Amino acid sequence: MRPDPTAISSLLSSAGVDAEVEGTTLGTVFRVALVDALAALIVLREGGHDFRMLADMLGTDTGDGIEITYHLRSFSRDEEVYVKTSLAYDGELPSVWTAFPSALMPEREIAELLGLTLAGHPNPRRLFTTDGIDPLLRKRVPIRTLEEVRDR
Amino acid sequence: MTDPRDIVSGVGMLSEGTHFVGEPPAGIRRVPTGVDGLSTEHLVINMGPQHPSTHGVLRLLIEVDGEEVVAVEVTLGYLHRGIEKLAEHRRYDQLGTLMDRGDYVSGMHGEQAVALAVERLMEIEIPRKAAWIRTMVAELTRIASHLVWFGTFGLDTGAMGQFLYAMRDREAAVEILEAISGARMMFNYIRPGGVVDDLPAGIDQKILAFCDGFETYLDEHHALLGGNEIFQGRVRGIGVIDRDTALAFALTGPNLRASGLGFDLRRDRPYDAYPELEFDIPVGTTGDSWDRYMVRMEEMRQANRMVRQCIEGMPDGDFKAKVPRVLRPPEGEIYAATESSRGETGVHIVSDGSDTPYRFHYRSGSLHAMQALEEILPGHLLADVVMIVGSTDVMLGEVDR
Repeated sequence: MRPDPTAISSLLSSAGVDAEVEGTTLGTVFRVALVDALAALIVLREGGHDFRMLADMLGTDTGDGIEITYHLRSFSRDEEVYVKTSLAYDGELPSVWTAFPSALMPEREIAELLGLTLAGHPNPRRLFTTDGIDPLLRKRVPIRTLEEVRDR
Repeated sequence: MTDPRDIVSGVGMLSEGTHFVGEPPAGIRRVPTGVDGLSTEHLVINMGPQHPSTHGVLRLLIEVDGEEVVAVEVTLGYLHRGIEKLAEHRRYDQLGTLMDRGDYVSGMHGEQAVALAVERLMEIEIPRKAAWIRTMVAELTRIASHLVWFGTFGLDTGAMGQFLYAMRDREAAVEILEAISGARMMFNYIRPGGVVDDLPAGIDQKILAFCDGFETYLDEHHALLGGNEIFQGRVRGIGVIDRDTALAFALTGPNLRASGLGFDLRRDRPYDAYPELEFDIPVGTTGDSWDRYMVRMEEMRQANRMVRQCIEGMPDGDFKAKVPRVLRPPEGEIYAATESSRGETGVHIVSDGSDTPYRFHYRSGSLHAMQALEEILPGHLLADVVMIVGSTDVMLGEVDR
């Protein structure tokens, strides 16, 4: 399940991507710069490790910015890796849908719920909520507004 | 290897001239202009969110050329409750209740995913009996969930009789689950560390009687719907999701296996009592609606087989591990997934060491199936749209979360 980190690191560096390897409770995590994220995902898919599925994608408000986690799965080698990248609160998230179409809706969800803008997305509109709703998954957005607390 | 960019053509965008989009991207199908100016005009049809065959509150904007679908855009959010945000304000033992309300037809699998995630983060070893009870209720839920799909999928193709028979059997399964957990759908039965309560006395005989009956009933169901020529004519060769498309859109569960890739978390990422059980994993060949039908029917048979094995081999012992009253997992990050009725139900928890998760992410199989719909529906007839949506078994509670 856990791949050999050195093999993946050399694969990533062959594509000119600097990656920091972390072995955490999550699994094997590669931390890359935002500009390298798409290149890293493409080389993981096309390189020998055959990561054909972007199984999951999420964004986290870390307090300093937004951290994006890509969860990739390879069926031929039965391996899973996580690629993490970070951007500022007002940052622009480059879409990876050209490499993995399964990112189309999760990217829209992340953009609306964490208050980011999407770059290169074919349909960069909101997915779930209507215009004007605060980015709900930001830590600064309260779960209830003051009016709702008063009326309870 | 197919380039995913060749697969995605329209990306669910409606064509120029409709007021739903601003500027369509390059490569999108456009309204053809006839040489004589007498071209057929495309029509945009709105289906849902209150359409009886959309299985919940799904809204589809369908652009048709005559009877042929040209582009589809799904509009979501009618059931968005913000489960991920709510979870950040709940203790770890309360997360199961939220997962029940995500995929509300197969709640046990969501609860199981949360429980597995918390246990792996806290390194809790659960007693063997707890694992076996969990596996049994999860498989029983799979039967109950697939029976809802079976009944309504028949309705989508124009058949009626199978629905009432499916509901009769589902009722029997749900009554057993009610006797075990106290609730019919919102179980809140599987918790980090085991299950809430032991199996009630005498339930084994009831479950075995259900298994005996269901074996023959399943054959009858299959003969009634699958043996119907009209049904076969409606589903065979229609709604094909090939392997490349399934991988590109990250389909999981029965939808992926119908496309010919036999990946099953119960075997490939084993959890609870699955390594000790014997079961087969049905895999389709072409990925059409018929394959998805056959895979789910066979899954019900295998689930029935597993329930019987669980009852016959149920170990003695405790039904829960000793866990602290307030769960405080160490700082860290974990992903745990279960094979739910609709694919991979995954839970991604970021813990900061407190009693509530810092970030809680719910990965659902239906959201990814929903994206694939935008890709596969164009080119089909309007009458097949409902059938294909039904064949992927999307659950809107799990899509919107």
